[in-house]
Amino acid sequence: MTSLRSTVARLFGPMADVVEGAPDADLVLAPATVEEAARILDFASEHSLRVLPWGGGTHQGLGGPFDPDLVLLTTQMDQIVEWRPDDLTVVLQAGVPVAVLEARLDERSQTAVLPERPGRGTVGGVIAAGVSGWRRHRYGPTRDRVLEVLVATGDGRVVRGGAQVVKNVTGYDIPKLVTGSLGSLGLIVRVCLKLWPRGETAVTVRVDDPARALMSAHRPLAVLETIIGSFAYLAGTAAEVEAQVAALAGPVSEGLLWPEHPEGEVVVSVRVPPASTAEAVGRLPGATAFVASHGVGEVTAAFDSIRDGALGDLRSWSESLGGSMVVLRAPAGFGLDPWGMPPTTLTIQRRIKAGFDPAGVMAPGRLPGGL
Amino acid sequence: MGGGSDLVGDLVEALGSDSVRSEPLDRLLFSKDAGVTRGEVVAITFPESATEVAAVIRIAARHGLPVVVRGAGTGLAGGAVPSEPAVLVVTTRMTEIEVDAANRTAWVEPGVINLDLSRHTAPLDLHFAPDPSSQAACTIGGNVANNSGGPHCLAEGTTVNHVLAVEFVDAAGNVLLAGGPAPDPIGLDVRGVLVGSEGTLGVVTRALVKLTPNPPAVRTMLLAFPDVADACATVSAVIAAGVVPAALEMMDRPLIRAVENFIHADLPVDAAAVLLAEVAGHPAGVEAEAELVVAIGERHNAFQIRVARDDEERELLWKARKSAFGAIAQIAPDYYLHDTVVPRTRLVEAMTEIYAIADRHDLVVLNTIHAGDGNLHPKFAFDGSVPGEREKVKAAAEEVVGLSIRLGGVLSGEHGIGLEKRDLMSLVFSAVDLDAQARLRDAFDLDRRFNPGTVLPAGSRCFDFGKQPPEGVWV
Repeated sequence: MTSLRSTVARLFGPMADVVEGAPDADLVLAPATVEEAARILDFASEHSLRVLPWGGGTHQGLGGPFDPDLVLLTTQMDQIVEWRPDDLTVVLQAGVPVAVLEARLDERSQTAVLPERPGRGTVGGVIAAGVSGWRRHRYGPTRDRVLEVLVATGDGRVVRGGAQVVKNVTGYDIPKLVTGSLGSLGLIVRVCLKLWPRGETAVTVRVDDPARALMSAHRPLAVLETIIGSFAYLAGTAAEVEAQVAALAGPVSEGLLWPEHPEGEVVVSVRVPPASTAEAVGRLPGATAFVASHGVGEVTAAFDSIRDGALGDLRSWSESLGGSMVVLRAPAGFGLDPWGMPPTTLTIQRRIKAGFDPAGVMAPGRLPGGL
Repeated sequence: MGGGSDLVGDLVEALGSDSVRSEPLDRLLFSKDAGVTRGEVVAITFPESATEVAAVIRIAARHGLPVVVRGAGTGLAGGAVPSEPAVLVVTTRMTEIEVDAANRTAWVEPGVINLDLSRHTAPLDLHFAPDPSSQAACTIGGNVANNSGGPHCLAEGTTVNHVLAVEFVDAAGNVLLAGGPAPDPIGLDVRGVLVGSEGTLGVVTRALVKLTPNPPAVRTMLLAFPDVADACATVSAVIAAGVVPAALEMMDRPLIRAVENFIHADLPVDAAAVLLAEVAGHPAGVEAEAELVVAIGERHNAFQIRVARDDEERELLWKARKSAFGAIAQIAPDYYLHDTVVPRTRLVEAMTEIYAIADRHDLVVLNTIHAGDGNLHPKFAFDGSVPGEREKVKAAAEEVVGLSIRLGGVLSGEHGIGLEKRDLMSLVFSAVDLDAQARLRDAFDLDRRFNPGTVLPAGSRCFDFGKQPPEGVWV
């Protein structure tokens, strides 16, 4: 491996510093341009090096684990390239932290509707993981707002898909394909996102009945339930928010008081049709913490010392409704498959991956079905 | 099953004689869509289930023929027009709707007409948000194939944002499911790729669509401007002010006059352009947003602002917008409707240049624009029986494409690529980009059983582009 390391250093420069939380791989590189990323991936494919793209590391618990030979960091790609407030679009590099982007957009009262508690998460990482914020209830999932992607594929091609306009049916929707692909097709280098105005006023209202809150507030940002109670999140013009608050008739706090993500030894995401959210909460086998997004159908729950059998029942129930239960974090050796029942389109998905990553070096085994 | 050399016989055996047609007149009728290209249809089938669709796909494969899917045939880009002799799957007999009111979704078969779906769910105060101008005729299957938009996709998004899952038959005849009723289905987003794939990846036999609550309040306004630039500036200013209206449509003077003559809606025929703006949502919010739109319009020289007083007037204003196509018939027997997109902040430049293009080619151009999202629909009116007119329109259309791309836009916002714009794809994508798209298509349909010759230019897979558009392809 030493000679490989020196070859890589000669070709691509010295190893980057390992970032906190990233696995201790032999090779760690932080390309600064898409061409450099593509050359590295071409080399990785040629030498069958397993590659792990790494943004902020906040969603690396998702999917099947593997030991990478090469960690690709996006730390050198941290520029907001072009923000066009009047177009409600922004073009940026994948390594920009979500918190940095949202703080910048907030200067003109805009938002990319990315996760509200991103931690160290990067925009590229959030898109690769296909993660959405709680405000998806009002604005839809993250994938609805990825207008264009620039990707270095597993075999070192530079592919652009989509365009920097808000409406487009020109060719196949590569941005949709890449969103949620967990680094299995290539490294996301640059994206164009659709933005929304964030609303002049925002409040959080405590409610007794989340289902009723969904009905009485017109399209709230979110209605979340946690161990301490349920809350409706509202934003819009002052008059609109005031009227909605009156209809909800609960204690009001200024601003959006988002919950913390559930933390624990095992964290899962239960995904069911929206009307089954309350039942999903009822079926949690002794969660230490949870956030249930009513009207969306997602419950994130944390457990300490949980039997995998108890979670198996929850998974079977979710799958019986057409949903899933995904393991977001678990200790090594945890006995539950990260995804559960693979999709019926697995053969097609395998071929898609082979089209972008013919050598199978990108995050191997991470997707459902061991892709 | 037969398996002989008689294609029609095999299809009849599988589907019954009621569901297969192959008379010359039928083959002619189904050989084109609402656009201008024509193809060759060998047999037309009307399957009633996914199983029957799978049977047609297998029989066609056995006879070495591709399959082209068609809904109502309202497409304008040749997406349902065979590029080589093909078996047609017409979805109009697949019309089941199964509503899940609690989850605000419905499983819808592809032959259901867009407007019929919203009528069906009206008693629940729900509707299907994508509303293309052809919504009284176009089908959900066609909407899924083209990722259709419509005026109200400005705030609500296009079809892909409203389709949670699709059941489809693949090239091998397997019935598969992509997506599901719960958020974030696991694995690659095959659903997202299928929507908008113009019938090239599989035959959609059912779609699980999201139903949107009818807004409790709506305000519809017509703002008249002395100058197109003022109308365009108003669009940008409204978006910049933090309002995303439900719809923001523009019509220019030639079109306003044609429409007024046609439906008599008391439109301001002196205006260089009008904006049809609609805000929808909570009653309190709608009031404030409507006031803001009016104020911004006034600041940009709007000389007449008409706020619809009731549903009747609102419907009249929308009728004006949606009658554009009929109205053009007064001006010339034919028109060519274009569909490109520019960033919405480049609308002024785009419009100025479109008028210049029309002038240079001595053509009448009428414009309806989904201004809020920069989606241009210039319509060149012409008389196809006059020698040289078609060539003039074609040249002008090519210039509009060039202009849109120069301003950072794309070939199509909602009509699709089909046959019409296939050979222009290399204007917006590199050889490597197109190769990636071809690889994606290969993953579904390596042998090009579905709608061959559409969407991607010949040779995309191996970086070898056919530079010459084939005879009869309208670019």
